[in-house]
Amino acid sequence: MMTPAQKAPSALSLDAEAAARWGGALRVSPLPPDGLLLTCDPALLPDLCAWLAGERHYRFATLVTEEREEGWRLRTLFWGREPLWVHVLVEMPLQLTSLPSISDAVHAADWHERETEDLFGLTFTGHPRLGDFILHEEWPEGVNPMRWSFNARVPYIAREVDPQWRPVRIVQAPGAFAMPVGPIFSDTAQASHFLLETVGEDVARTIPRLFYKYRGVEKLAEGEEPAKVLLTAERFSGTSAIAHAWAFCQAVERIAGVDIPPRAQLLRALLAEFERFRHHLAALSDIIHSTGMTVASSQADILEEEALRLAGAWAGHRYLYGQVVLGGVARDWTNEEVEVLAGGVERLAGGLGRLSRRLRFSGSFLDRLEQVGLVSERQARHFGLVGPVARASGVPEDSRVDLPYGPYGSPLKTDIAVEEEGDGYARLRVLVAEALATARLIREGAERLPGGPVRVEVPLCSGEALGWCEAPRGVAFHWVRLDEGGRVARYRLTTPSFTNWHGFHLAAERFAFQDFPIIMATFGLSTAEGDR
Amino acid sequence: MSKWIIQGLRTGVKSTRYPRRPEEAAGVTPGLPAAESRWPSPSGAEGAALSCPVGALETSGTRLTADPRRCIHCLRCASGPNPVPWEGGYEWARRTGPADSPLFDRGFDHSLHIRVVDAGACDACLSEIKQLNKPYYNMHRLGLFLTPTPRHADVLLVAGPMTQAMRMPLLKAYEAMPTPRRVMAVGTCALTGCLFGPSFASAGGVGSVLPVDVEVPGCPPPPLAILHGLLLLSSRVKKSDEARETLGEAAP
Amino acid sequence: MSPAAGFFLLFVLLAGSGALLSALLPDRRVPTGLAWTASLASGVLLLASGAALESGTGFAFPLLRLPVLGTLGFGIDRLSALFLLVTALVFLPASMYSAGYLARYDGRYSLRLYGVLYHLLLLATALTLAGTDLVTFLLDWRLMSVFCMLLVGFENRKQENVRAGYLLLAMTEAGVLAATLGVLFIGGFGASGLDFAALRAAAPHLSQAAAWTVFLLTFFGFSVKAGLLPGSSWLPKAHPVAPAPVSAVLSGCVLNLGIYGIVRVNLDLLPVRYVGEGLVVLIVGSLTALIGILYATIDPDMKRMLAHSSIENMGLVTVGLGAGMVFLASHLPVLAAMGFVVGFYHMANHSLYKSLLFLGAGGVDLRTGTRDMNRMGGLLRVMPYTGLFFLAGALSIAALPPFNGFVSEWLTLQTLLQSAQFGATGVKVVFALCAAALALTAALAVTCFVKAFGMSFLGMARSRPAEQAKELPRSMLWPMGLLAALCLALGLAPTYVIPALDTIVAPLAHGSITEELVPPFFTVGPSGDARYGAGFMKDFHAIGAQVGRGLLPGRGLVVLHPGGEKNPVVFAMSTAYTAVVLVLLLAGLALAVRWATQGRTVRRGLVWDGGVRHLFPDMTYSATGFSNPVRVVFQAIFRPTTQEDTRESVHGHYRTALTRSQREPFVMDRLFLLPLTRLVRGAARLIARPHHSGRVNLYTATVLVTLLVVLIVNWVRP
Repeated sequence: MMTPAQKAPSALSLDAEAAARWGGALRVSPLPPDGLLLTCDPALLPDLCAWLAGERHYRFATLVTEEREEGWRLRTLFWGREPLWVHVLVEMPLQLTSLPSISDAVHAADWHERETEDLFGLTFTGHPRLGDFILHEEWPEGVNPMRWSFNARVPYIAREVDPQWRPVRIVQAPGAFAMPVGPIFSDTAQASHFLLETVGEDVARTIPRLFYKYRGVEKLAEGEEPAKVLLTAERFSGTSAIAHAWAFCQAVERIAGVDIPPRAQLLRALLAEFERFRHHLAALSDIIHSTGMTVASSQADILEEEALRLAGAWAGHRYLYGQVVLGGVARDWTNEEVEVLAGGVERLAGGLGRLSRRLRFSGSFLDRLEQVGLVSERQARHFGLVGPVARASGVPEDSRVDLPYGPYGSPLKTDIAVEEEGDGYARLRVLVAEALATARLIREGAERLPGGPVRVEVPLCSGEALGWCEAPRGVAFHWVRLDEGGRVARYRLTTPSFTNWHGFHLAAERFAFQDFPIIMATFGLSTAEGDR
Repeated sequence: MSKWIIQGLRTGVKSTRYPRRPEEAAGVTPGLPAAESRWPSPSGAEGAALSCPVGALETSGTRLTADPRRCIHCLRCASGPNPVPWEGGYEWARRTGPADSPLFDRGFDHSLHIRVVDAGACDACLSEIKQLNKPYYNMHRLGLFLTPTPRHADVLLVAGPMTQAMRMPLLKAYEAMPTPRRVMAVGTCALTGCLFGPSFASAGGVGSVLPVDVEVPGCPPPPLAILHGLLLLSSRVKKSDEARETLGEAAP
Repeated sequence: MSPAAGFFLLFVLLAGSGALLSALLPDRRVPTGLAWTASLASGVLLLASGAALESGTGFAFPLLRLPVLGTLGFGIDRLSALFLLVTALVFLPASMYSAGYLARYDGRYSLRLYGVLYHLLLLATALTLAGTDLVTFLLDWRLMSVFCMLLVGFENRKQENVRAGYLLLAMTEAGVLAATLGVLFIGGFGASGLDFAALRAAAPHLSQAAAWTVFLLTFFGFSVKAGLLPGSSWLPKAHPVAPAPVSAVLSGCVLNLGIYGIVRVNLDLLPVRYVGEGLVVLIVGSLTALIGILYATIDPDMKRMLAHSSIENMGLVTVGLGAGMVFLASHLPVLAAMGFVVGFYHMANHSLYKSLLFLGAGGVDLRTGTRDMNRMGGLLRVMPYTGLFFLAGALSIAALPPFNGFVSEWLTLQTLLQSAQFGATGVKVVFALCAAALALTAALAVTCFVKAFGMSFLGMARSRPAEQAKELPRSMLWPMGLLAALCLALGLAPTYVIPALDTIVAPLAHGSITEELVPPFFTVGPSGDARYGAGFMKDFHAIGAQVGRGLLPGRGLVVLHPGGEKNPVVFAMSTAYTAVVLVLLLAGLALAVRWATQGRTVRRGLVWDGGVRHLFPDMTYSATGFSNPVRVVFQAIFRPTTQEDTRESVHGHYRTALTRSQREPFVMDRLFLLPLTRLVRGAARLIARPHHSGRVNLYTATVLVTLLVVLIVNWVRP
C-alpha cells in the first residue's frame, strides 16, 4: 500500500497538491472555464512559482500589477496542462511597496518585475537589476507613471540628463569598451539603443537599452471606452495590428460573455493569417537585406509589396487597420472575395517557395546565417521565449495549438514548424515554413467559411479577463479590466517582442560585430511592439 | 551567383511610373474621407461626424469637412449606416511654410539625402518608408537616397508621436545636419500625436520640437504619399492643394 | 694627428669626466649635469665620426702589441664611422632630453648611479665600435652589455625590470660567445693575430665548411644582439622597462651593434661567398620583420609596441643586407651595393625615428603615468607638440612619404624586385616570398602606427591622467624636434644620403651605386653623358627633373634606377619634389576651401554618435579593440594561451562580472627560449649534479682533465 508521500507529484491534481503542500496558507478557487486561482501571501510567492514552473512545467505568461483602492493586486499568470491556466494572486495593502522577486525561479518574469518597479514603484527584494529600465536616466526617481495619482494626459517634461549616470558594465578586460549602437542608426531601423561590450571584433556582452519608444499605451488606455482602446491596440504596433486587435477584443468579449459568430471568427483568423504571411515576407526581406544579397532581397521586397497591395485592395487598408472590431469584423466579404484573397496568397506563396529554394543553395547567404546567433533550447525555455524564435530553438509551442482560441483547433488545424539548431538559418526556415503553412490555412479557411452574421453587439459590461493571440512574432497576452462604467480600468499588454527582447542578448553575444545586424534581423523583433 | 542575376533580369522593371504618370494599381492607398461632403440634414452630418473616434470630421450645417491631419483610416465613418464618402489618391503632402517661398535655397531641386528618425512610430510608417527603397517605388530613380548619418542629410524624415525619450536624439540629429535642412513629418502621429499624445510620454507631434516644413498625413501614409512629400520638398511637383483638386484624374 | 682622432680622444676624455662628474654631483643636480656633459661628449663624437667620414681615412691607435693576439688598439674606418655617427645622433638628443625626464626618479632611485652608467654606456658603445681587434672589441662589448643590463634594471625595486636586465645580459652574452667562437675560427686558419687586419688576411684560406661555420656562428651570434629571430625574446622585455632615454639609446644605437658585428665579420673580415649565406640572412630578416610588426600591432603597451617594432625594423635592415649578400655572392657588385646602402639607410632611419618615438612615449609616460594606450586618448589637445613630433615619427616608421622610412623601405622592396636578374628559380622564389612578407609588414606597420597615434593622441581621453596631462617642458621638446627634423631631412634628401653611404659600401661590395641610383640631373645637361644618353636626359629635363639646378648642390633630387633599352626606368621617385607638390596641393586646397566658404559662418557640431545621451570615452575604440582583427586573423601565430573567461552571477542568471584575460606570449619565447631553457636546465642537472658533491678533489680533477683536453687538442691541431 502506498502512502500519499510516496506518490509521484504529477499523479496528484494541481489543486490537491497545492493544498497538500501549503494547506491553509493558500486559497485555491476555480477559475472557469479551465483555470485555477491561487491566492497567497507575498512571502509564499517565490516557492509557489518555483513549484509551478519547475515541477509542474507551467509557462509564465504575464504579470499584472494593479493599484486598487483596497490595495495592490499582483496577478502572475501561468499556462500549462490541466488546468490550462493558473493565476497566482497576491494582495497586499498599499503601504507595502516591496515583495519577494520570483525571477530567480521563473526567469521569464525578470523584465516584468523591472517594468513594475519602474512604473509602479514596487520593489522586488532579491532582484539584482532593478531600475533604469523603461524610464531612462533622465526620469526623476520616485515618480511612477502607472500610479493613479500620476496625470498621464499632460506632457511630463521634468526631465534632465543625469551626468552621473553610467551604464552597468560587467566586462573586465584590458582594452574593453562599450560600442554604442543607436538610438538613431542604420537606414530605417526602429529607435533602439545597444551598448556592445567588447574588446574588439566579438561582442562579449550586449546591453539593450530599449523603451525609447515608450508611449505609455497601458496608461493611456485607462478611463477610455473599449472601442477607442481598440484603435490603440491596433496601432501601437502597426505590423501586427490584427493580432493585437483580436487579443484585445477577445478579452472584452470574454468579459461581456458574448459568443462571436463562427463566420466572424474564421474571417478574423483569415485576416490574422494573412497578416502573419505579410509579416514573415517582410522579416525574410530584412534577413536577406542584412546579408547584403541585393537581388534576393529585391525578390522578397516585391512579394512583400504585392502582399501589401493585396491587403489594400481586399480590405481597404494595407496594414489591415480597422478590420477587427468588438463583436466581430467590420465588414463581410463574399465567398468570391475570400477566394480572391486565398488565390492571391497562394500565388505569393508560390513565389516565396521558389525564392527560399534558391536561397537554400546560395552558399554566401547560408554562411552568414548558419551557426550565427545561437540560442539553445534550454536558454529559450529559461527565458520563456515565444514565437518563431523559440520554435527555431526546438521549443514546439504555439498558442494556436496549446491555447486554442477562435477557430483554431477546430475547424482550423495548424501544426507547429520546429527546428532544432537555434541559429539564424533555423529561424529563417521556421519563418518560411510558417508563411507557407499560412497560405494553406487561408485556403482551408476559405473553403470551410460558414454562413451567418459577422458581427454581434457587445453590451456594456464590467469585469476582468485575458485575451491572447498568436501574433506573427509570438503569443501576445492582453489583460483587460473594465470598471462599472464599462471603461478600461487596467490594460496589461504583454507582447512577443517584449518577451523576446529579454533573450536577445543570448544570440547576440559571442559573435562578431558584423553579425550583429544579421542576428537582429533573424530575431525580427519590433521595438514599437516591445516598448508599447 | 549567376542564377540571381538571371532571376533579377527575368523579373523585369516593377517600379511605378509616378510622378510621370499616376499610379493606378489597386491597393496602393487606403484613401481618405472626402475633404468636403454635403448631407441632406445637419443632424445626419453630425451623426456622421460622431462616428469618428479622433474628431477628424467637423460639421457646419449640412457641410461635413474631413481633416486629413487627424484621420487614422479606422474606416468607421465609411462603415456606418450613413457612410461618409471616401476618395482614393495619395498626393496628400502639404507645406506648412509660406506658400510661395522655395523650400530650398538653390541647387536642392535634384538629389536629396534623407535621414529617417523613428520618434516612436508604430513600425507601419517605417515599413512604408522602407518600401520607397524597394523595387516597386524605387526612389533612387528620382535621386532620393537614405543616409545613415545626419551629417550628409538634407531632409530629416520623422515618424511617430515624438516620444519624450527620443526628443534628445532627434534634436542631436537635427543639430548634426548641415544647413539648409528641412524637416518632414510623416504620418498622423507625427502631425498631431494621434492616439498617443500629447501625453506624459510623447509630445504629440514633431511640430512641438522642430519646425516642420512638409507634412504627410496618413496612418500610415502610403509610399506614394511620402514620395509626393519628398518631391514637394524639392519643388518637383505642384503644391498639394492644387494637386488635390485634380485628384479625380490622378487616381483611380 | 688627424682631426677625427683628435675629436675622438676629446670624446673619450669628455665621456670619462662626465662619468666622474656625475659621481661627484649631488643627486638633484645630476640630470642637468648629465644633459650638458653627455650631449657635449656626443656632439664631439659626432664631429669625430663626421670628420672620419668626410676625410675618408680614419685613424688607428695601436696601443699594445702582443705576440699571439696581435696589435690591440682603437681606430675608426668608414664602416665604424657610420655607426659612430648614428650613435652620436641618437645620444645627443637623448642626453638633452634626460634633464627633464630624470626628475621623476628624484629621491626614489640614485641618479648619480644613473649618470655614471649612462656616460659609461656611451663610452663603451663608442669604444666597441672603435675596437680594431677582437680583444678590445669583446672587452668593450662586455662592458657595454653590463651597463645595458644595469640601466635596464635601473628601477631596481621592480622585479620585472631586474629580471629583464638579466635576460638581456644572458641572451646577448650567449650570442656573442657563439660569435667569438666564429671569429676565433678564422684566427685558427693561420692568422698572425686577432687584430682585424690579420683576420682579414687569413680569411681567404678558409675552406667551404669553415666559412659556413664562421658565418652561421657569427650571424646567429650577433643576431641576438640585433634582436633578430630566433633570439629576440629579450628585446620586448628589456627595452620597455628602461628609462625613456635609455630605451631610445638601446633601440637607436645598441641594436645597431649587432648589425655592426654581422657586417664587420661577414662583409669585411670574411666576405660572404655563397648565395646560401645571403638567403639565410634574407629569410631570417623577413621573418623577423613580419613577426615583429605582428606583435607590435597587437600590443597595447606603447613602449613594448615600439620594442616589437624595433625587431621589425632590424629585420628590414637585415633584409637589405641579406639581399646585398646574395648579390655579392652572385657577383653582381652594383646590386650588392644597392642592398648594403639600403640596409644602412634603413638602419640610420630606424635609429632616428625609433629614438624619437621612444622619447615621445617616455614623455607621455611621464605625464600620464601609464604606457597603456588603452588608458590614453585625446593627448593631442593637451600635449600638442609631443603629439606633433610623435606623429612625425609615426609617419616615418609607417613608411609614408616624404619621411625617411618611406625612402628606405621603398628601396628595400625595389632591391628585392631586382632578383629578376637571377637565373636560379629557387632564389627568385625566395626573393618573391620575402618581398610579399615585406609588403605585408609595411601594411601592418601602417595599421600599427595608426593605432599608436590614433588611440593615444586622438579621440577622447580614456583616463583622468590623460585628460589632465600637461605639455612637456621645452628641454624635452627640442630634442624630439631635432630628431623629427632629421627624419624629414633624411626623407627629403636621399640623393645626398645615397652617395655618402656609397663611399662606405663601395669597398665592401666592390661596386658603386651612386651612378646607378642618382642620375646627374644637376651636373649634366640635356645632352647627356656616357651613362645617360641624350634622349634620356632630354626626356627628364622636359618633365622638370633638373628643377633646383644651381640652387642646390649635389647630383639631383631624383632617385632613379635605369635599366636597358626596352625598359629605361626600372624605378624612380623623388620625395623632395613630391613634398613640394604635396605642400602646394595642401596650400591650394586650403585656399580653395577658404575661398569657397567666404562669407559663410562655420557651425561646429558635435561628433555624430547615433543620438546617445552620453558619449563616454569608454564607448570609443580602444587600442586593443582596434588591433583585435589582426589578433583574430593571425591567431595561428599568436596562439593566445591563457584565456580565462570567468562569469560570476547572482542566482545563475544575472552576470555581474565577465573577466577575460588574454595573453599572447611572444612566439619566440614559446618556440625558442623556453625549450632552450629547459634543455640547458636538463643538461645542467645531468652534468653538474654528479660533480657537485662538495669534494675538493673532484673539482681539482675536473680542472686537470679540462686542461689536458685543451693541451691535447692544441697538440693534435696542425
